[in-house]
Amino acid sequence: MFKKVLFSVLVVSSSLFAHSAIMSCFDNGDGSVTCEGGFSDGSSASGVNFYVEQGGKKVISGKMSEDSEFTFKKPSGEYSAVFDAGEGHQVYVKGSDITE
Amino acid sequence: MKKLVLSSAVVAVLGVSSAMAHFQMVYTPNTALEKGQTIEMKHVFTHPFANEHTMDMAGVEEFYSITEKNGKVDLKDTLKSITWKGKHNSGKAYESKYKARNMGDHVLVMVPTPYYEKNEDIYIQQITKTVINVAGTPNGWDAELGLKAEIVPLTKPYSIWEGGSFTGIVKSNGKPVPFAEIEVEYINNTPDMKNNAMGPNKYEAPQDSFVTMGIKANKDGEFTFALPKAGFWGFCALGVGSDKEYKGKELSQDAVIWVEAKEMK
Repeated sequence: MFKKVLFSVLVVSSSLFAHSAIMSCFDNGDGSVTCEGGFSDGSSASGVNFYVEQGGKKVISGKMSEDSEFTFKKPSGEYSAVFDAGEGHQVYVKGSDITE
Repeated sequence: MKKLVLSSAVVAVLGVSSAMAHFQMVYTPNTALEKGQTIEMKHVFTHPFANEHTMDMAGVEEFYSITEKNGKVDLKDTLKSITWKGKHNSGKAYESKYKARNMGDHVLVMVPTPYYEKNEDIYIQQITKTVINVAGTPNGWDAELGLKAEIVPLTKPYSIWEGGSFTGIVKSNGKPVPFAEIEVEYINNTPDMKNNAMGPNKYEAPQDSFVTMGIKANKDGEFTFALPKAGFWGFCALGVGSDKEYKGKELSQDAVIWVEAKEMK
């Protein structure tokens, strides 16, 4: 039993490790921004942590939707959108790089 | 003797037509986009290596995109008529803008109206696929669309280093076409997107067989081709489509796919 559990955990972590995390964001033009998360092997990012950081603080946080998306109200000033798929798998996108 | 001369004349004529293959381009300068954006496309019927004659496109029957999120979206209304300038003449062509916003693969398919080729007294219709990707996550580049004539990629068409290779399967209505005849051409210049014109040729072919390279698929309809230079490579499986006649004349319904190799720098 223990062996089985250990094995599946290893498989999961190794599969996460082999692929890189990817995020792309766009401005919806209505004051909101949508970020899409994913992995280089095409696997879903549904349920993966996502947050918006401003001045080193998390101002918005949540999880990627079933469609691997997160939509949020665009904060004023500088910010970064962060796709947080675990250690070594964080993707930062600067607010100033997010366009329509 | 007379017969021999005649047959070599026929060979010479055939040689000329096969040395420069027609290629339907659905061209955008970069198929691997860093992030979502609106891209410009040019739809030109030409001979991309030699760039010696630009054909007048007869029109477009279908143009659409396929993405995981939005499925099939009709893009025919986005086409605008333009005149495309080649080295020796100009031809009727189209341009379009496409909002490639969602992350992942966007498969663009164009079905042109059959073009009458006077020299051969046949119609040619090249069902053309160009695949672009946003941000690097894959979701649909390998989709089999069940087209009348189709090259289904086994290599991501937008993610190949210079010197890498491309593998595809030639299909007709979802079935592999064994030993399909495939022509391969390189866009031997950098198309000028602003002025709707081809640029100057980059490379010279040592002989006509290098202008349009002829290869064949294997018994399972598969083929592999190495891409020696960065840029765009077109693959055209000849006459593999199920439609064989148009307006009472022979129709060559071909499958085209465009593949981009990127320079390592």
